[in-house]
Amino acid sequence: MMLAQSIRRTISHLSPPMCRPLSARIVDKVNIEVQPAQTGADAGAGGAVLTFPGVWLRDNCRCPACYHSSSQSRQLDWNHFDPGVHPLALHVDAAKEQLHVRWSDAHESSFELDWLRRRSFDGQSQSAYLNDFYRPRTSHWAGAQFEQIVQRFSYDQVMSEDEALQHWLKALAVYGVVLLNGAPLDEGVVRRLAERVGFIRRTTYGEEFIVQAKPGAKNYAYLSLPLPLHTDLPYYEYKPSVNLLHCVVQTQSRGGSNLLVDAYHIADRLRQEQPEHFERLSRTPVDWNDIGSEDGREFHNIWRAPVICLDADGNYTRINHSVPQRDSHFNVPLGQVLPWYESYARFVQLARGDAYSFKTQPGDVLTFNNLRLLHGRTGYDDTADNSRYIVGAYLDWDIIYSRLRVLKKRLSKASGTAAA
Amino acid sequence: MTCVQLSRDLQQQLVLLRLHLEQPAMQFPEIWLRDNCQCPKCYMQQTRSRLPHGWNCLDTGVRLQQLSWCAEQQALLIDWSDGHQSSYALGWLRARDFSPANRARYLRDIYRPERRHWSGLEFAQIQREFQYEELLRNDETLLQWLHQLAVHGLALIRQAPLEAHVLRQLCNRVGFMRRTTYGDEWSVRAQPGASNYAYMAAPLPLHTDMPYFEYKPSITLLHTLQQSESPGGWNLISDAFHVADLLRQREPSAFQLLSGTPVDWADIGSDKELYFHNIWRAPVINLDAKGRYVRINHSIPQRDSHFSVPPEQVRPWYEAMAMFIRLANEEACAFKTTPGDILTFDNVRIVHGRTGYDDTDHNVRHIVGAFLDWDIAYSRWRVLRNALGHNK
Repeated sequence: MMLAQSIRRTISHLSPPMCRPLSARIVDKVNIEVQPAQTGADAGAGGAVLTFPGVWLRDNCRCPACYHSSSQSRQLDWNHFDPGVHPLALHVDAAKEQLHVRWSDAHESSFELDWLRRRSFDGQSQSAYLNDFYRPRTSHWAGAQFEQIVQRFSYDQVMSEDEALQHWLKALAVYGVVLLNGAPLDEGVVRRLAERVGFIRRTTYGEEFIVQAKPGAKNYAYLSLPLPLHTDLPYYEYKPSVNLLHCVVQTQSRGGSNLLVDAYHIADRLRQEQPEHFERLSRTPVDWNDIGSEDGREFHNIWRAPVICLDADGNYTRINHSVPQRDSHFNVPLGQVLPWYESYARFVQLARGDAYSFKTQPGDVLTFNNLRLLHGRTGYDDTADNSRYIVGAYLDWDIIYSRLRVLKKRLSKASGTAAA
Repeated sequence: MTCVQLSRDLQQQLVLLRLHLEQPAMQFPEIWLRDNCQCPKCYMQQTRSRLPHGWNCLDTGVRLQQLSWCAEQQALLIDWSDGHQSSYALGWLRARDFSPANRARYLRDIYRPERRHWSGLEFAQIQREFQYEELLRNDETLLQWLHQLAVHGLALIRQAPLEAHVLRQLCNRVGFMRRTTYGDEWSVRAQPGASNYAYMAAPLPLHTDMPYFEYKPSITLLHTLQQSESPGGWNLISDAFHVADLLRQREPSAFQLLSGTPVDWADIGSDKELYFHNIWRAPVINLDAKGRYVRINHSIPQRDSHFSVPPEQVRPWYEAMAMFIRLANEEACAFKTTPGDILTFDNVRIVHGRTGYDDTDHNVRHIVGAFLDWDIAYSRWRVLRNALGHNK
């Protein structure tokens, strides 16, 4: 045995590049191992062995009885699906690059090698799929880095060129903020932009909203006072994902500047520097609320969630922060109250210290991730000759990511590269 | 007049307020009282919200200096170490008492009512019917319908007109429709070459709608305009939270797998002009930090062939999934809606399906569907409860 191995090693070491056709075998009775064709040139990455769980292959059979192609949906009868199903025999068509499987339930399936490769269970391929196609990985930034990370695109290009649209949405996913310039000064801009992606996310306040000073306003944002850092609508379970703020008129007074902070960066800092604060802010549920009326319709919104929301793997899913929209009801045991206030004061202090300030100009559309960034504005003098007029709307990530995937497929098809 | 006893817990920095000797004192943390001062400098009545500037440099070391009770105003008065003075009305304090009993009351009566899970056998007991016209006319009926949906996740509305605008009218009565990639309203009837699996006459196994959205539509409304005369086309409904309960008791390892393994849910296609490729990765059974159910995802056609988990997790997951589906089928109840019915259910929780039917020119089935979100439905539930005096 030892001898045989060492001989083989020697031979493969010495022999010139070999060609080996596509092959497959059953391993551990239930799984299928596929060895793509190997030529000397691509013996590396392209030729790696792919292992597929048999039950998964059977579940994803592509025949018309199991898969409905016009709706791209599985139609296999799961009421009688046996998870103990296993492959009995394999046949490989090397020329067509196809794998044929005969199953223990008497069914037969065929799979294209290319289809299999794109669904590889190899850890690296899976993370590439998740980061390149599912949702791009986020990069967090400090306020001082704002000018380096912020990308600017022309509104006209985003509206007319798919590539510009893709770049805008991708940068929004990665950095959470992008500026669009040169938009016309009419009130339809945010709607046209949202419909270029999908459609506007409606809220209690309607589809588009106007931010300008209104005496007697029912919402704190509709005043000319300074608006401290916050996220919009933390009192929704389905918090609107992305904010589009179109500057139509900007005040000539010294105030009215935008403030932005990447709260994921603030959370990173707390996690490293003061883990006890991070712990409290990610575990203590807070009551966020909004009580009022809009166009004669009353609402009473409440959502209970921590300031820093994490998924099961400890990744950030959302930041909630709004001083006016935090309820006076606080539904936690007494002993948690004072420590939570101390941690929250620290969070607010760090965020304030990190805020980047700039002032949008008429024709700018400020777009940012409302699940992640805190935004605010400095106060301004509001007079008849010195007003400020912003039109806003929201988009949801479900719709944006969908658009990004469609664009990625379309643009990579056009350039001839592969997408998932 | 109430005889009020005030005291302080210096160590925990609490204010204690006792109304009757035989009752426990209400308890309030000092820092929370300062944060929620109701004076015009700290709180803006017109927007009903805290004024934020105090938080620019909040001093969590602020201390209470003097405590008193104003019998005339029935209010608690406090002088603070930062020179500020606050006053809190008794009714306001009572609603915000930090005692476990009051906090539980708030969650149940104001936040979201407690859900009751039900088995297939209990269907007849939990089922409730509402008349369409009464829902439009009567706020109390509207509230009862929303309450039934929140608690049991299912309600049947009868006698709706056979007109296209009915669901919009009903949704506007609550708030507004939830739009998706399929538009506001959608039609379910057999279509040759359908781009969605639901638009066919084949049996539609139990599923939740749109598991491929992070923001999955919350409440499904299905308005029957025409029902198939063939023996098929029955509705199937099962409470998947109850199915999860059963799995948790009987097969804890299967429960673990279904609540811990992320699944790729997907929908690829187009509707009118809009092309989409929706994906959301999440387990079948979704739990919050405390292990309570937040959502069920299940749809055989909408489960992606991409499965982004380590290969050794695959087979055990399939075994658990097969068990879940078997239990869901066992717990399913079947009924057949008739024209004018609107079936409404919690799509976050309930799995639904239909048996197959023969679709011919003389034997059609036409259902119009729409969605509502829980954010909007609970808001309406709270406003109605308050207006109708249910929180007194």
